[in-house]
Amino acid sequence: MIGLILLAAAAIAAAAPLPKAAIPEGKRFLVIQPHHDDHTTDYGMGGLIAKLVDAGYDGWFIRASNDEKDGAWGYPHNDMINQRESEAAIAILGMKGLYSLGWRNDYMDPTPLLELRAQIILLIRKHRPDVVLGHDPWGHYDRNPDHRKVARACAEAVWMAGLRNVHPEHIELGLEPWRVPHQFLKARVDYGRGHEANVAVELTQAHVARKMKAYSAHRNVYAHPSMARSVRQQLAARGLKAPELDRKTDEEAAVAIEEWHMDWISRKRGTENGLRYAEIFYYLGEFDHLPGLTGYLRDNVVKR
Amino acid sequence: MKSLLCLLAFAAAANSKTILIVTADAADFVLAAGGTIASMTATGDRAILLRVANDDKNAWDLAPEQAAARTSAECEQAARALGIEKVVSLGYREGELGGVSPTELRDRIAFHIRLLKPDVLFIPNPYAEYVEQLDRHYTGMAAEEARHTAALRNHQPPLAAIGVEPHVTRELYYYAQPVDPRRREPEAAATFVPQPKVVGIEAAFSKKLRAARALKTIQTAAAMRIRQRLESTGRRLPLLDTVNEESVNKLVEIELRGLATLCAKDFPYKMAEEFHYAGPEYQVPAKLRR
Repeated sequence: MIGLILLAAAAIAAAAPLPKAAIPEGKRFLVIQPHHDDHTTDYGMGGLIAKLVDAGYDGWFIRASNDEKDGAWGYPHNDMINQRESEAAIAILGMKGLYSLGWRNDYMDPTPLLELRAQIILLIRKHRPDVVLGHDPWGHYDRNPDHRKVARACAEAVWMAGLRNVHPEHIELGLEPWRVPHQFLKARVDYGRGHEANVAVELTQAHVARKMKAYSAHRNVYAHPSMARSVRQQLAARGLKAPELDRKTDEEAAVAIEEWHMDWISRKRGTENGLRYAEIFYYLGEFDHLPGLTGYLRDNVVKR
Repeated sequence: MKSLLCLLAFAAAANSKTILIVTADAADFVLAAGGTIASMTATGDRAILLRVANDDKNAWDLAPEQAAARTSAECEQAARALGIEKVVSLGYREGELGGVSPTELRDRIAFHIRLLKPDVLFIPNPYAEYVEQLDRHYTGMAAEEARHTAALRNHQPPLAAIGVEPHVTRELYYYAQPVDPRRREPEAAATFVPQPKVVGIEAAFSKKLRAARALKTIQTAAAMRIRQRLESTGRRLPLLDTVNEESVNKLVEIELRGLATLCAKDFPYKMAEEFHYAGPEYQVPAKLRR
């Protein structure tokens, strides 16, 4: 009986909506991700990017890998196509620019952590972002080595960029130390106990539409006609069909299915959190690294 | 009466333990475990600190070499305040443990475990999530492995050849500051799963505070960074309008009280520290422990 009560309590707790995240005060953000499409995927952050841009932020995308293996072509072609499609996607979202670091796709386990981190620190000091949108380094069961490596390099870079004795050669260039005060972290929420969001970001239908459009820009890796063919075959095998797809080519149907999925996931995250559309993140605020001081600072900091 | 006191002292000495504390940096062991360590040394336990990185970056206005020298001296003072007998520094550069061979780091820690033969080991909890300084994570991973490999004769056979025999450490404390939101969620009760443990530190708080205040370079840098962040966003913390020894010491006390209160929440203590603990029964299957 006690077990049942505990289970029921756990179910209620799991269903509790997440606190709604406010857009932090600021001017600039960086999206630091392993791959060209990580920011726009179903578990991505395209909605928050659109929302930050609408709030007046300038944003840049740091893409760590060259994505040479992601797509239907050979390595050099994929690299170039994915670069072009990334540029298109960030333009749709309203971001200012893209840095491709060019590390070898899916081979980032042996990438030297400190070298990658140094590149990120340099760009943090150049742009002095108020917000970083990164990959959660504490996600479990992430089988992608690039995700793990970039997440960790980013987690270290966001605070070490604020220390003068870290890469003092940057100071010689006229760059000043800069600690990133706000982080929104993403990872798959369907990979076991690992990543667990602590905030929901409310989105409008327009944010979701831009996210979908940016997502669709990655045509080299999404909206494969073969995916639509597979869906039609599986429906037919069950004696079902989707009338909305009837008059569409396989390519058009694939785009429609992807867009439906993107809208569905944004609505699902919204419904779970008492909103129409949402994305969910693990948010780390400016003083969360000082657990003994967060309460004191909240109660005692005043305007100048 | 005198002989009874002698007998009690002898009994205490016979029961005293040797503790090895592994820390990535000069601050973490103080903030997360300083009260517990001070309580143990106060009852006659002998403690040694193994400091992995050199804190050369955690200063406000010092060059790396100066910061490393000054934080080393301050770490010695902090250790003394907690009753720690000796500090051994491995000298790795701060923030760069992610580029160090985990096996090299493990073997160096295992060497000290075999040399000192501790009864108790304190290590950073590598499973504590959202810890900002990942040196703590890397040190925790290496130390956890080291505890295991230090007990195995086929690891580092030359050590046995020079008389440094394998050693099994019976008690293991994983420490971390309370950042991980899921740190208190029950993990499995199965074999090999360390269990949460909360230790009251009221009696030892003053020693912990003295130790944390001894870390002047690190604490001043932390205060300056808070002030700089607030200034850059049009805010201020009245306490830090002037950053000097007095205001930094006050901030340190507030932080330590905040940490101790967080850890004591839901437990019958006013001040506490929290750990995951693997004791002598750690490898006994849960169903047999009773």
